[in-house]
This record gives sequence, structure tokens and C-alpha cells, in this order.
Amino acid sequence: MMLNFPLLSIVVFFPLVAGFLCLATSNRQLLCRSIALVIAVTELGLVISLATINPHPVAGPTGTWMLVESHTWIPSLGMRYSLGMDGISYLLLVLTAFINVLCVLISWRSIIHRVGSFHFFLLFLESSVIGLFLATDLFLFYLFWEVQLIPMFFLVGIWGHERRVHAAIKFALFTLCGGLLMLLAIIGLYLLHGAQTGVYTFAYNELIKTQLSSTAQFWLYAAFLLAFAIKIPVVPLHTWLPDTHTHAPTAGSLDLAGLLLKTGFYALFRFAFPLFPDAARASLPILIGLGLVGLFYASWLALSQIDVKRLVAYSSIGHMGIMVVGVAVWNMMTLSGSILQMINHGLSTTALFIMVGMIDERLHSRKFENLGGLWYKMPVFSGFFLFFAMASLGLPGLNNFVGEILIIIGTFQVHPVIGILSFAGLVFGVIYILRMVQDTIFGTPVKEHHHVLFDLDFREGFTLVLLALPILFIGLHPGPVLRLLDHPVQHLLTQFSAIATVATGM
Amino acid sequence: MTVILFILLLFPLAGGVINAVIGRLLPRRVSEVIACLGVVGAFVMAAIAFGLGGWKSLHLIFFDWIKVGTFSAAFDVYYDPLAAVMILMVTFVSSLIHIYSVAFMREDTDYVRYFCYLNLFVFSMLVIALADSLLFVYLGWEGVGFCSYALIGFWYTNLDYALAGRKAFILTRIGDVTFGIALALFFYFFHSFSLQYINAHATTLSVTMATVFGLLLLWAAMGKSAQLPLTVWLPDAMAGPTPVSALIHAATMVTAGAYLLMRLFPVIHLSHMAMLVIAGTGAITTLYASFAALAQVDIKKVLAYSTISQVGYMILGVGAGDFVGGFFHLLSHSFFKSLLFLGAGCIIQACDEEHNIFKMGNLRRLLPHVYYPFLIGCLSLAAFPMIGGFLSKDRVLEATFIHPAPIYKAFWAIAFLAALLTVVYTFRMFFTAFLDRPDGRTADEIKPIPRLMTVILWPLAILAFCDGLLNLPFGPISNGLAKFLAAVPGARVDLGAPAAVSWGLGLGDAALVLVVLTLTYFVFRRPRPDFWGSLNETLFTAFYLDWLYLNLIARPYERFAAVLWRDVDERGINAGFENTAGGFKVLSSLMGLWTNGKLSTYLLMLLLGLTAMLTVLILSWHW
Repeated sequence: MMLNFPLLSIVVFFPLVAGFLCLATSNRQLLCRSIALVIAVTELGLVISLATINPHPVAGPTGTWMLVESHTWIPSLGMRYSLGMDGISYLLLVLTAFINVLCVLISWRSIIHRVGSFHFFLLFLESSVIGLFLATDLFLFYLFWEVQLIPMFFLVGIWGHERRVHAAIKFALFTLCGGLLMLLAIIGLYLLHGAQTGVYTFAYNELIKTQLSSTAQFWLYAAFLLAFAIKIPVVPLHTWLPDTHTHAPTAGSLDLAGLLLKTGFYALFRFAFPLFPDAARASLPILIGLGLVGLFYASWLALSQIDVKRLVAYSSIGHMGIMVVGVAVWNMMTLSGSILQMINHGLSTTALFIMVGMIDERLHSRKFENLGGLWYKMPVFSGFFLFFAMASLGLPGLNNFVGEILIIIGTFQVHPVIGILSFAGLVFGVIYILRMVQDTIFGTPVKEHHHVLFDLDFREGFTLVLLALPILFIGLHPGPVLRLLDHPVQHLLTQFSAIATVATGM
Repeated sequence: MTVILFILLLFPLAGGVINAVIGRLLPRRVSEVIACLGVVGAFVMAAIAFGLGGWKSLHLIFFDWIKVGTFSAAFDVYYDPLAAVMILMVTFVSSLIHIYSVAFMREDTDYVRYFCYLNLFVFSMLVIALADSLLFVYLGWEGVGFCSYALIGFWYTNLDYALAGRKAFILTRIGDVTFGIALALFFYFFHSFSLQYINAHATTLSVTMATVFGLLLLWAAMGKSAQLPLTVWLPDAMAGPTPVSALIHAATMVTAGAYLLMRLFPVIHLSHMAMLVIAGTGAITTLYASFAALAQVDIKKVLAYSTISQVGYMILGVGAGDFVGGFFHLLSHSFFKSLLFLGAGCIIQACDEEHNIFKMGNLRRLLPHVYYPFLIGCLSLAAFPMIGGFLSKDRVLEATFIHPAPIYKAFWAIAFLAALLTVVYTFRMFFTAFLDRPDGRTADEIKPIPRLMTVILWPLAILAFCDGLLNLPFGPISNGLAKFLAAVPGARVDLGAPAAVSWGLGLGDAALVLVVLTLTYFVFRRPRPDFWGSLNETLFTAFYLDWLYLNLIARPYERFAAVLWRDVDERGINAGFENTAGGFKVLSSLMGLWTNGKLSTYLLMLLLGLTAMLTVLILSWHW
């Protein structure tokens, strides 16, 4: 649905523009934080209300768009400023705006230096991620893709822990490498399409019609895939993630785990697969393999971590593994499951990162050797911790189970062995999660810590309740969420069919 | 009916949720009353449902759960006679145990957490008993697993207890893998998770597939029901509070595996192979655990191994094609074993947290209120003639004996030997703890326990004593339970054994039990801790099975995790990337000396330049 009013643009740029208010009030911390909170909540409200404008979108030839927007931008180069929102991007938008509210809430006490610029970067990041999920012009998409790097780089580099600069540079290098290759590929595609049709454009809906030789497909797809695989991250391109998480501030970890990793997935199935179907089809078995390896490898490795935040970071990689499997199997169930899992992971892992941050604020340590027995002094905290840990290991009735079971059973229908292996992989997840719970909240309480261990205050409890509710909701009644995905997923399936793989590839 | 069953499930769930959310703000009594009401209310609902239609088979849908394309799972129940009896038993035993817990946990300050888990457990258990969609069953299945984990490690400050909980969770979860695979496979064949639908269409499966299903479900049952080779978590699970052991690790959860096989009996029944493996697992486990129970010194460990052994009979009953016998034993076991555990809880508190039976003694005199009910429990466990435990075990043994396949005779022999050993280990424990002896306890070494705790034993004792009436092998009300269950697919009312075989087995069984009981009295009326001599260690450690798992699987797994992290991830992959980056830095500084016009150099420079710029910006940030 095309509106005369640039609603999507407002949603994209409101946080960035309003974020300057935070910069302006940098000297008055409380005011600055409150402004940031108001902006984040307003944005969340705006995003949620988008669904009311066109709640029952009609399936069109290019997708089931709830809202679209398009303006000429640089006509000489065929760049248009065009945005589109379907059920998938809507869900991711809500997740993004929601996580940003959490980011502001949890930084209330932990960030005390340069408050203004911190919140500005948070909101800047929000704008870039939202833009990325909406862009339907490949150049615009690339722009948002690279821009999100800047605020993230500063968030880690300035407000992070010990080796923050190293972590920020590592993050930037990895991501830039992928991004530059992707830029080359986009330009290549643009030139090939132009040469074929005489129309030079970056519009995704035009580029998808380009006839490509298999060699061209291979190279262009490889560049896209590399960029996205680094971002997801797919083992063995994951090593930037644990480092970045370990040294990032809590809000940075939230954005990273909750949002940035999702952009890789999103771009993979939204752009890379449909643009280069033959090459993509050939890569599916590899992706399935890498996904499985990632699931086992990261889950196994997570067990031996000595820093609880690093453990959660590796658990993230493990979760990504099973989602990669789901995307690469590419059928209705697994794809819906994977997209739902993007949301689920954004909720449960985010929650764990928040809780680890709370531990850090109290004890100034995240090492298991200094933890243990937290339940004794912090029962409410520990109850929540157990709850989110159980959500993360996929206890039925909580959110992750729904996504995982869809992926696994959907996978099993076409590749039984892969389905069985992914199910077995979840046991590895149980082991490290229980170890984490054990060494954090169970065990003998450390006497020396009693004076610094206080239970949740209202703000913290409220934040966690905000997270617990959607976790329960998706776990028990995922219907409304899954219905949003119905049409867009079906459209993706018709755009790109994996059938050829099932017959020949595996 | 839908409403009744919905409220039935809602009661314990609401109890658990209320206690979880606001329990800490409520006075202790209120919180306890809420927890007990949650379960007693469920019992009342179960009774009403039973009265209104316990004999019917109904499929009732509450609401949708997951629906994508053809994949659909709902929150729905399949209420049939089997489920009707099961929920009656579960809610009844749980009610008693909740009330008992109020007294048992009187000194614990963390009662809110305790009752919250306990209520959630009852909810999950009822889901297993009732659910129609196997995915919903799985929700209950994992739910009880979680509650079991949380309750075993309830006293979390003791690291060993918490570790025991973790072990239980992981081992049962290993069992659950095949449940998950079975789910996927059911969906593949039937495009449905409905128990009722699957059972009705089971005959469309080939024998091979039925075998696969049977084995997958058996493995899942092995995890939950602590059957070989996944037995090792149950003895450790005794770390939990004793009422928890009574409820979860005796009466209800550990029988869930056997119950699952009964619910899907039409599927597994199709494959002789699967049935044979099931029967074999049951028979061998029952003997194995009996041996292990012979040498335990902890009263709860004796009972734990006896549970493993008795659940073995239930599995054997299913494998012998007579799930009615298995279910009958499940019922009588739930009464006498919860009775024994609750009795043990009284003893342990009275003896000031002493678990070692050799440090008890004289309890007949000192704890008469516990003595009689505990004796009834022991008699029932040891299958004293004509008590419930005897009749149910006898039916299982008879079904095994008359099975046409010759190997079942061997299973029968194994299970029969185990039945005799049961008498030995049960009364070894009983005599050692209760009989008078000079080195036993004295009256001032006994702490008073609340009257409520011993009163609760009586309803269970009466049921354990009389529940044989449910399914007498003869007389005007013979095979009552079996007739009631006749509508359940695959149920056999009468085993159809010739009268001579039936009577011969029964009488022989009874006679031998009496003989062994007498022998046990003469051997163990004086405490003899080292009776088994050099075998003692082997029996005590249950044939070193736990030790093997620890050293062959758990430790190597942990060690390899460290290798993966330090050597593969850090020194391998990560170092590779970091060195490459470092190499590029050196290389680019050389290349930077001349501009060669290559795009790659420019890109590299752009990249490094941007990074350098950003780094400088960070380091000199002064807003």
C-alpha cells in the first residue's frame, strides 16, 4: 500500500533525528536518559501501529507488502530511495524497536560517561537497522548495511570493557571485508543488468530478473554469501563475535545479538537466494553442513567457557547454526521456524545478556569462579535467570521451542538425518545451559559478596517482565506471529525454490 | 467435559503461577493453602470427570497452539479410561503428598519455590496423562523433567545435590531425543500428532516402521523411567526432598515412560521385535536394580533401586502384550512406593536427617505410627500374597510366562528371580531399621515429627493393602480394572491362561515369597552390613555403571570442550584471522609506498584508513 505520507521514512529516521536531542542534553544525564527513553518508546509505538494501517495486505507480484514508499534519489545512477514492509520486516522492526527500549532501560545506571553520545549512537544504530530491514533498493540496502557499523563501532570502542578497542577493530574489519565484497557484487550485478536491458537500476525487483551466466552467479553470490555469513556468523567466520560480545557494553551486546546478527539472515534469504537461485541452490548443502557444525561446535565449546558472557556469546553461535539449517532447508515449516527463531533468539539471548550485565554491575566480574549461589541473596533475579535459561534451551511452552520444533520437524520431512542430528545437537545446548545455571545461581553462596548482591530493583524487574511476556506469548500462542509470516514466506518460496537440491544435491 | 478437564489442568497451573508471581508476598499459610488447593481441586475435578464419563473416549480441543502450513498442533486432550484412572491416581497421590509437604517443609524458608515447582510438576504430569497431541504430551514430558531437575537440586547450596539435578535433566533429555525423532516421524507418516488418530491408523504402518517407532519410544521411556542403560540418574535424584522422591521419583514421573508406551500401544504392538526388546529391557532392568538394591545402606537408595526394578515390571508387562497388567502394577506401585517414601521421610526426620539404615534400629518401638504403614508398604513391595502388589506383579509374570515366544520364558525367569530378590532387599531394609537391637537408637535420639506426617500414611497404606480388589484374578468382581480398560485399544481383559498354569504360577509365586521372607528374617534380623562380602562394592555401585559413564563419556566430553575452545577456536581459527590481519598490515605498509593502481590495494587502504580514522576518533572522544 502506497501512502502519500512518508510514514516508513519517519519510522526510519525518527530515532536518528530525535537522537540529536540526546546530544544536546548530554550534560543533564537524567533528562538525556528520559529523552532517549521517550524516543525509543515512541518509536516502538510507531512501529507497532504500522500494522494497523494495512493489516490484511494483498499478495502482489513482488511480495505481500503492507506498506511501500519510493522516491527518486539519484536518477542518473538509477538509485531510488525505496522502502517496503511485509510481515517479515514488520516483525523484525518490532523486535528492533523493542530491543532499543530495553537498551535504554538497562543502561540507566551502567553507563555514566558521555551519556549523550551513547544514547545518540543507540538511536543512530536503531535507524540504520530499521532502514536495512525496509530497503528494497540494493544500493540503499548497502548503505544501511555499512552505516550500522559506525554506531556499533563506537558503542563497543568507547563504552566497552577492557580490550574494547581491539574488539571494535576486529568487529569493524570482519564486517567491512564482507561489506566491500558485497558492494562489488552489487555494482557488478547493476552493470550486468544494465548491459542486458539498457536500464541501469539498483531496484531489487528489477535486478532479480537479470539473466546471469553460472560463473557470474557463482562469484556474485559468493560475495553476498561471505558478507552475510560473517554477520550471522557462520562457523568458521565467527571468531569476531565472542570477542566483541565479551568487551561490548550490555546495550552493545543486545544490539549485536538481537539485531545485527539478524541482518545477515535477513539479507541472505531476502536478497541473496532469490537473486542468484542456481548458485544458492548449490550452496544449500554446504550451508546445512556449516549450520550443523556450528550448532555442535559452538554448543560443545560453550561448555568450557570461564566467562558467563562469553558462554552466552557462544550459545548465540549455536542457535544461529540451527537457524542456518532451517533457512537452508527452505520449506514452509523450516523457513517460518527460522524467522520466528530470529525473534526468539532476539528475546531469550537478549534476556541472558541483560542478566549477565546485571551480575557484572554488582560483582564487577563475570567469571564463574566468582559466581555461584546467587539464589541465596537474589531469589527474584535467579528465578528470572532460570526462566530465561530454560527458554534458551528450548523448554516447550516457551518461545524457542516453537521455532526449533518447526525447523527440526520441517527438516526431518526432507532430510531425516539432518533433522535427527539437529535434534541431538540440542542436547549439547542443554549441557552448557545447565552448567551456566549451576555455576551462577546454584552452589554455595560466597560470603564476601553478600554486601554487594542486592536483588532486582523496580527498573530491572520491569525490564525482565517486558521480556518474559513475549517469551511466554510466543511459546503458548504463536499463531498471530506465525500468521504474519504466512504470505511473505510463501512468496519467498515461490521466488526461489530449493526443490532441485532435494532431488540432486543431497 | 471440556470445561471440567480444562479446569482440572488450570488448578495446579494457577497454583504454581500464583505462587511464582506473588507467593513471596503472601503469608506462609496462604501460600501453602494455594498450593494444596491447586492439587486437591484437580483431584475433585478428576473425580467429577470420572463420575460423568470415565468410561468414555473423548477427544477435546482447548485451543490452537502451533499452526504453519500443514503442521498443526493444538492444546487438546484424549480422555479415555486409561487416562481417567491415571489422572485420578496422580491427583490423589499428589494431594496427599502436598499436604504431607506442608508438614515436612515446616522449617524450610524457601517453601514458595518448593510449592511452585511441585504444582507445576502436577500440571505437567496431568498433561502427559491427558494430552492428545503428542507435541502437547512433549510439553508435559519436558515440564516434568524441568520440575524434577529443579526439585532434585532444591537445596542448591549443596553442590552435589545441584549436580544430581543436572545429571537427571541431561540423561532424561538424552532419552527425549528419540521422542523428538518419533514426533518428526509420526508427522511424516500421519501428518498429525494426535494420539487417537495415530492409534486408529497404526495398522497402515509397515512392521519395520512399527519396530522403529517402538524402539524410539522405548529409548524415550528408558530416560524418563530410568531403565537400563539410562538408570543412573534416579539413585542420585534422591538428593531432593523426600516428598519429591515420593511423588516424582516413585509414584508419577518415572512411570511416565511406561505410560507413554501404553498410550501408544497399538503402534508398538505391531512389531514383535519392538515388543521383545521392550520386554527384555524391563526384565533385565528389574533384575539389575534388585541386585543393586541388595547392598544399599541409604534407605532412600534402597527405595530408589526398588523403583527402577518395579518400573521394569511395568515395561515388561507392556512388552508381554498385556499393558493392563503393567498399568495395574503402575497403580499399586504408586500407592505402596509413595507410602514407603513418605514413611522414609518420617523416619529420616525423626532420626535427625539420618539416611543410613544401619544407624537406625529399634524403630518399631520408637516410631509405632510409622511402623505399621511402613510394614504394609514393604509387604506390598515384596508381593506378599493377596496384597495389591502381589496381584499386579503376578499378572505381569503370568502374561510373560504364557507369551508364545520361547524367549519370554527366560524373561519370566529373570523377572521371577528379581521378585524373590525384592523380598530380600525390602526386608533387609525393614528388619535392619525397625527391629530391636542393642546398638540401635534410643528414645532420646528420636526427634518428634508432626502428627500430620504419620496420619497421611494411612490412606496410602489402606490403598496399598486393598488395591488388589481392583483386579482380582477370580471371584464376582474379577478383572475389574481390566474390564474397565477394555475399551482402550489393545487391552486384554483376561489373559486366557489355562487355569492350571494360572493357579500354579500364583501359588508357586506366593509360596516362594513366603519362604524367602522367612529366610530373610533369619539372615537379616541382626544388622549385617557386610553380608555380601567381596560382592558388596559391585552391588553398591550398581555394577560400576555410573563410574563408567562418568569416565567414558562425561569427563572426555568436558575435556574435549576445553580442547575445542583453547586449541581449535583460540589458537586455530581465531589466531588464523588475527595473524592474517596482522600480515595485511605489514603488507599494506609496504604496498603503500607506491601506488600501483590496483583496485585491491585501494580497497585495502580504504578499509585500513577507515579503521584507523575510527580508532583515532574513539581514542580522542571528548563530547
